[in-house]
Amino acid sequence: MTNIKIKINNQTIETDSSKTILQAAKDNGIIIPTFCNDDRLDPEASCRVCVVEIEGQKKLQTSCSTKVQDGMSISTNSDKVKKSRNEVIELMWSSHPNDCVVCDANEDCKLQDYMYQFDIKSENKYDGFKRTFETDKSNRFFYIEPDKCILCGKCVRICSELQGVEALGFNQRGHESFISFAYDKGMDFSNCVSCGNCVSNCPTGALMEKSKTKFRMHKTTKTRTTCPYCGVGCQFDIVSQDNKIVKIEPLNKLPNEGLLCVKGKFAYKYVNHKDRLTTPLIKENGAFREASWEEAYTLIHKKLTHYHNEFGKNSIAGLASAKCTNEENYLFQKFIRKYLLTNNVDHCARLCHASTVSGLATTLGSGAMTNSIAEVKNNEVIFVTGTNTTETHPVIGSFMRQAKKNGAKIIVAEPRKIDLAYDADVFIQIEPGTNVALFNAMMKVIYDEELYDQSFIEKRTENFEAFIKVIKDVDINENAEICGCNVKDIQEAARLYATHTSGIYYAMGVTQHSNGTNHVKSIANLALMTGNVGKKNAGINPLRGQNNVQGACDMGALPNNLPGYQKVYDETVRAKFEKAWDVPIDKNVGLQLPLIVNGAFSGTIKAMYIMGENPIVSDPDITHVKEAFNKVDFLVVQDIFMTETAMFADVILPASTYAEKDGTFTNTERRVQRVRKAIEPIGNSKPDGVIIQELMQKFDPNYTIKTAKEIMDEIAELTPIYQGIDYDRIDETGLQWPVKDKQHMGTEFLYPEEFGRGKGYFTPINYKGAAEKPDAEYPFILTTGRILYHFHTITMTGKNEEIMEMYPENFIEINPISAKKLNLKQDDYVVVSSRRGDTTAKVHVSKDIGEKVIFMPFHFADGANMVTNTVLDEVCKIPELKVCAVAIAKV
Amino acid sequence: MKEHISKQDLHLFEENILTKYRKNDSPLMQVLQESQNLYGCVPIEVQEVIGKHFRISPAKINGVVSFYSMFTLEPNGKNTVGVCLGTACYVKGGERLLDRVSERLEINLGETTKDGMFTLAPTRCVGACSSAPVIMVNDNIHGKVTSDDIPNIIEQYNK
Amino acid sequence: MANLKQIKKETLEQNPSLLNPVYKMHEKEVRVVLRNCDVIDPEDINQYIARDGYFALEKALALPPVEVIELMKESGLRGRGGGGFPTGKKWEFAYNNVSDTKYIICNADEGDPGAFMDRSVLEQDPHSVIEGMIIAGYSIGAHTGYVYVRAEYPLAAKRLQLAIDNAVELGILGECVLDTDYSLNIEIRLGAGAFVCGEETALIASIEGERGMSRIKPPYPAAKGLFGKPTIINNVETLSNVPQIIFNGPKWFKSFGTKDSPGTKVFALAGKVKYNGLIEVPMGITLGEIIHDIGKGVGKKRQFKAVLTGGPSGGCLTEKHLNESVDFDNLVRLGSMMGSGGMIVLDDHDCMVDIAKFYLDFSVDESCGKCTPCREGTIQMFKLLEKISDGTGTVEDIEKLRDLSVSVKESSLCGLGMTAPNPVLSTLEHFYDEYLEHVNDKRCKSSSCKGLINEYFITDKCTGCTICARRCPVQCISGSLKEQHTIDPSICIRCGECFASCNFDAIITK
Ligand SMILES: Nc1nc2c(c(=O)[nH]1)N[C@H]1C(S)=C(S)[C@@H](COP(=O)(O)OP(=O)(O)OC[C@H]3O[C@@H](n4cnc5c(=O)[nH]c(N)nc54)[C@H](O)[C@@H]3O)O[C@H]1N2
Ligand SMILES: Nc1nc2c(c(=O)[nH]1)N[C@H]1C(S)=C(S)[C@@H](COP(=O)(O)OP(=O)(O)OC[C@H]3O[C@@H](n4cnc5c(=O)[nH]c(N)nc54)[C@H](O)[C@@H]3O)O[C@H]1N2
Ligand SMILES: Cc1cc2nc3c(=O)[nH]c(=O)nc-3n(C[C@H](O)[C@H](O)[C@H](O)COP(=O)(O)O)c2cc1C
Ligand code: SF4
Ligand code: SF4
Ligand code: SF4
Ligand code: SF4
Ligand code: SF4
Ligand code: FES
Ligand code: FES
Ligand SMILES: [Mo]
Repeated sequence: MTNIKIKINNQTIETDSSKTILQAAKDNGIIIPTFCNDDRLDPEASCRVCVVEIEGQKKLQTSCSTKVQDGMSISTNSDKVKKSRNEVIELMWSSHPNDCVVCDANEDCKLQDYMYQFDIKSENKYDGFKRTFETDKSNRFFYIEPDKCILCGKCVRICSELQGVEALGFNQRGHESFISFAYDKGMDFSNCVSCGNCVSNCPTGALMEKSKTKFRMHKTTKTRTTCPYCGVGCQFDIVSQDNKIVKIEPLNKLPNEGLLCVKGKFAYKYVNHKDRLTTPLIKENGAFREASWEEAYTLIHKKLTHYHNEFGKNSIAGLASAKCTNEENYLFQKFIRKYLLTNNVDHCARLCHASTVSGLATTLGSGAMTNSIAEVKNNEVIFVTGTNTTETHPVIGSFMRQAKKNGAKIIVAEPRKIDLAYDADVFIQIEPGTNVALFNAMMKVIYDEELYDQSFIEKRTENFEAFIKVIKDVDINENAEICGCNVKDIQEAARLYATHTSGIYYAMGVTQHSNGTNHVKSIANLALMTGNVGKKNAGINPLRGQNNVQGACDMGALPNNLPGYQKVYDETVRAKFEKAWDVPIDKNVGLQLPLIVNGAFSGTIKAMYIMGENPIVSDPDITHVKEAFNKVDFLVVQDIFMTETAMFADVILPASTYAEKDGTFTNTERRVQRVRKAIEPIGNSKPDGVIIQELMQKFDPNYTIKTAKEIMDEIAELTPIYQGIDYDRIDETGLQWPVKDKQHMGTEFLYPEEFGRGKGYFTPINYKGAAEKPDAEYPFILTTGRILYHFHTITMTGKNEEIMEMYPENFIEINPISAKKLNLKQDDYVVVSSRRGDTTAKVHVSKDIGEKVIFMPFHFADGANMVTNTVLDEVCKIPELKVCAVAIAKV
Repeated sequence: MKEHISKQDLHLFEENILTKYRKNDSPLMQVLQESQNLYGCVPIEVQEVIGKHFRISPAKINGVVSFYSMFTLEPNGKNTVGVCLGTACYVKGGERLLDRVSERLEINLGETTKDGMFTLAPTRCVGACSSAPVIMVNDNIHGKVTSDDIPNIIEQYNK
Repeated sequence: MANLKQIKKETLEQNPSLLNPVYKMHEKEVRVVLRNCDVIDPEDINQYIARDGYFALEKALALPPVEVIELMKESGLRGRGGGGFPTGKKWEFAYNNVSDTKYIICNADEGDPGAFMDRSVLEQDPHSVIEGMIIAGYSIGAHTGYVYVRAEYPLAAKRLQLAIDNAVELGILGECVLDTDYSLNIEIRLGAGAFVCGEETALIASIEGERGMSRIKPPYPAAKGLFGKPTIINNVETLSNVPQIIFNGPKWFKSFGTKDSPGTKVFALAGKVKYNGLIEVPMGITLGEIIHDIGKGVGKKRQFKAVLTGGPSGGCLTEKHLNESVDFDNLVRLGSMMGSGGMIVLDDHDCMVDIAKFYLDFSVDESCGKCTPCREGTIQMFKLLEKISDGTGTVEDIEKLRDLSVSVKESSLCGLGMTAPNPVLSTLEHFYDEYLEHVNDKRCKSSSCKGLINEYFITDKCTGCTICARRCPVQCISGSLKEQHTIDPSICIRCGECFASCNFDAIITK
């Protein structure tokens, strides 16, 4: 990279020699037309519209593929350039249907734009040949109209090189070429995951969303914001017209670099769905009636004050929401702590990464991804365990596949042959609950073969001796048997992992166990032993699930933590908050979510306030949960839909979605990103932050309502890891905490010099299996989780007909051999039962799952969680959602 | 014509043929050629087996198969007749010969006779230009052909 | 290991005829590449060795690679695959690109319809190509080689495989070539019917198991070729020149041909000349010498009209070029190109519009479809030509065609599209009147464009030989033996069989 000078259209430009002419021009505001170019892909130079004339060269050159050289003099609009470029567009247009007026791409089409810009007439210059192909409507979200395709190939390359799927391809050759799914047999015959990344990048109307809303681009507005689904935190523009979202356009920024998954791209319809709650509701005589906000607030204030006074502050509990913004979660826990004076505040992180937070706090310092999403692409080895990344963090999954294309090796340890397992260099199919047996065996191999990082251990860690004593005693064969896998695979995985710059990626398969904390600590041992943490392109990376679960934890929506993981039992911390909030703070840790439910069950919890959570579907042992909720005296549910949980409420407050408010979400890589209001609140709904603050005013008439931006300033003041954050600083790209001050650019990866707690701590851990083992009565292990197309309790994804057509009901995945034994065929219905309850599900036969195991998504009401186990991890109180024993019977 | 390829045949194809290419950096073209030689075509079921075995996506295989004119989804007839339309043959009346052969077999270029005996395949120069015009049947070259010779040539193979 | 001298001695003892002077079809021929064709048994490696085969390899292996490359540069050998790029320079680039893996590829795709030089060399002297490849591989440090053979050449592939196997057996190929520490494995890859795969980057894509679509250059294969590694690709004929150059020295090589195009060139002479076949001539020979002296002209009855060189990428040369020198640069200067060496002679029965259309049809079929100008442009050009030859074209169409040709030539991504318009442009240049005749007079004077033929008519030149009546597929010609025949225009389907069959030029078109 050397700095050079060139001339473009006689303007002298300084640039560097690694750039193409196209990039150098763009950097200086000179826009050259392109069709086939994409900054993320190697240039193909196939469309030929980006030609420029270089002084001294006879032939025109494509600017997308030609590097600048010192002293080059370039013209982007000489007569020769114009002629060549116009002729190419002319040729595209000649074979193109003259359909603009009725085309879905009208006003959003490069071909049309360039025709206009370069004065190309709409009557065809050449009339010998027109493209005539069948339109393929087989994908539920978009259609392919090859007549309008200019064969720039972007869709094909993006699908293969960036998305890593290769569902689209070229068919035939020459002028007969067209893009299609394999064999022209449509989407269902392909491996398309409906991510829409092809659609987002098509320059014409050849790939178009099957939107039911008609809109004209010039009447729309674009609002840049953050995806409301998963923890990747993809950046996109909401395109809206008449207060309605009509389209989502990905942004080529960190962290998603222009990619989205099906949910972010297409599952936006819930926002404007007719079922949205639009007015407060109060239950009277078992039925809801509409109420004014004032009435609802007054009632809530009255009731909460009542229980507080009557049964003590700890008779009330609140559940915050990983769907809501940082500002809202901050306000929520502040409300609970300041006005109800209790630490009984928690949220779904308890069911999710509680073990990560507890396991990593004691070994490293904090429970977050140590490294960044962008680094995934540069890992030498990617160790994936207990995460179905391509379905649950799809964009990170795509980056893993990009890494593979760059030469990375992939290790997958999973009970199911997940999609990534097909890309894996080593795939270890383990039985659910046996993680520690696997990790210990790997560490034994690393120890025996002396593949550990001695100097790292010496300089950066402590307690290695005690830990290694346990490892020395590990019998690899025995552990392999426990896991149900080969010794050879364990060895290979261990060697690969230990001898490269390797990152571990894990999620619920590791955390949701009755000894989940130990699973996490065991992972920490593995990374510490090999020095694979505290450096770039490696690390311990818990993939945080909800769009803002990282943020909700950061904001102190936890019973033991004030914002920024500052402990309620730490006196100086308390003093700081007492001063700021002007109330005494309870030094006792509050109740965790399952204990709140238990408290409700046993009668100690009298009143609950739930903001954006749906425990009646998402908590284990639904029978128990429903009973508990029936017992609660006073329940407030603040949601965007009438959920299963809301049905139990005494007061329902209609909240506004992410699209209707300002704020921030913190994604899984600790990046604090803006959420921006794109449309006005639907009906009478209000943003959660407004609701909480208006309620606060009931408790404290002097309280003045703050904007989201002002709240963030308050957060930054009280929260060291957020200290350097304000809305101006994160306007373009978010910042990754810790952001130490207003100059600090954030932290890409953690612990380069020392760990949060000083030295990395090795924990000796012995293998201990799941609480419930299969037996004669309940012979199968049930593991639960999610699928790509649905999100959690489907309040949001379920509003998309396309998704409901694909996944309308509960199902199990079962191995063909087990299915045969039970005399089950595809699409049969079965009852799955456990010691706690039962549920009905459809049979999906799949070779990808082991014989002893079945998988069920927990998305459907009265589904998986009718049978799951409530046994908790002692330390962090996460329930064992990943293992329970079940029986299967055909109905 | 090709019978439906049985599951067992597909299995054998995988066992005996695909495994030979395991160490190959880029086996796709070669295994497609194996199929074309063995079955006279690369039917979709074979493409699927290849795709699964080497983890190549169906769209990609489809793209490759449809790109090269030698790969066909349907099997060719028992005999493949190619009337050369290379330059040397063209200027010596190759196109007229093609018309006559097409009339005689009652099929168009690229088609197969109903009885499965002949496929009329597009052909461009078989490297025998000095004998132009040339008709190639299977691997045999018939040079300096006139339209009078056509019935004879075809009859030779019609058994 | 093989003792080459020993083998040579023994084989010559058994087959003394191997020492006979090389057959030449005409005294103006010089056989370097074809020196073994029709002389040795191509399936017998010993016979190749007996004629000094693999001695050049022995010599090269004793030199450091740079010196071998130096010899090649000195010889001035230029690629025979069409482009004429200096071979030594190409090797030097690949040599200078440091990499643990490099490849050498022999381009035996020979797709030009009407050319068969490479086929003959592969079938009749496969070892010369292999020897050239080993020398090339050694020079740049490649340990894997591929020969990409056109699928239509099964015999060539078979003989080549046999030759590879035999060479490996003798320790000439494979691990430790001739007991040195240089190793090279050569594999054959077959094409599958795509002309564009002769283009080097498309060829690479094809070996990689992809659609054979060309890729943008730079990076050139010598920098980033097969599987992203430095790769050299040379044509069959280029490679079979290599052993001769090393064996006899660059000076010897430069004694043939011209200063800028040294050596010989093999041509596949075909079309309307008396002698059809392969010839090898020194560069710089004139067109006239080839067509009239070696090819013996078009015959008395017909008139020489043009000669096509360079296949679908080339153009036509006419009467007035007969004294021009045949070498890389001069042919380009004249608006045609050397191409791979196809040379098709046309006479007054050939219509130049029809020939242009024929080549365009080929290019339309063979365009890979990647870039816009070639994919969309060639088909529109073809449609314009169709209009012209149908009689529905106008003068504006001719101008549109010329315009479009220039655009496609200038803006296509690879050689196929850049050269596909050449046949149109060069026929437009030399036979513009013929185009005009088609659009203005609606007439094709060489009776090729069926759309312009209203009627076939038998004149009194007819001798009543009956051949036309026998050939007519619809039996519309009547007449008795030795009497003038007549055509019933109401039945005639205008297939042209009669016209083509008449040996007396008695049939004319109206
Ligand atoms: N599409 C979609 N994406 C989502 C969500 C969603 O609902 N839908 N939810 C988001 C949320 S909140 C979260 S927390 C994440 C969760 O993301 P993930 O953790 O990736 O999702 P799960 O499907 O719960 O479980 C992951 C895998 O754990 C495996 N597993 C089960 N038991 C074990 C075990 O004992 N050991 C190991 N090693 N693996 C085991 C299962 O086979 C499963 O494939 O996803 C987030 N992303
Ligand atoms: N069996 C089994 N059970 C599980 C799991 C498992 O793997 N297996 N996983 C567990 C995990 S990891 C998690 S994270 C939990 C998730 O459990 P939950 O958090 O209960 O599930 P969600 O469906 O995401 O609930 C979010 C709610 O917020 C609402 N909402 C959306 N946007 C807004 C907003 O802006 N404001 C407000 N007020 N509300 C909003 C939605 O309508 C929805 O009702 O499930 C857990 N349960
Ligand atoms: C459309 C097209 C077809 C080609 N076909 C051939 C071919 O059949 N054989 C060949 O040797 N070169 C062919 N070439 C040239 C090759 O790209 C390449 O330049 C050549 O193989 C290099 O070898 P050389 O330097 O020895 O000539 C073709 C080029 C183009 C653009
Ligand atoms: S794709 Fe673009 S150019 Fe084509 S009809 Fe639609 S708007 Fe017009
Ligand atoms: S939606 Fe995604 S997976 Fe499907 S074809 Fe498009 S890019 Fe590929
Ligand atoms: S569908 Fe769109 S993105 Fe894909 S090749 Fe065609 S024009 Fe390009
Ligand atoms: S990957 Fe996650 S954040 Fe990105 S679009 Fe999908 S659901 Fe949204
Ligand atoms: S010029 Fe023709 S053959 Fe070459 S890349 Fe373009 S479309 Fe393909
Ligand atoms: S953008 Fe440069 S050729 Fe397409
Ligand atoms: S043109 Fe027909 S054989 Fe060469
Ligand atoms: Mo979660």
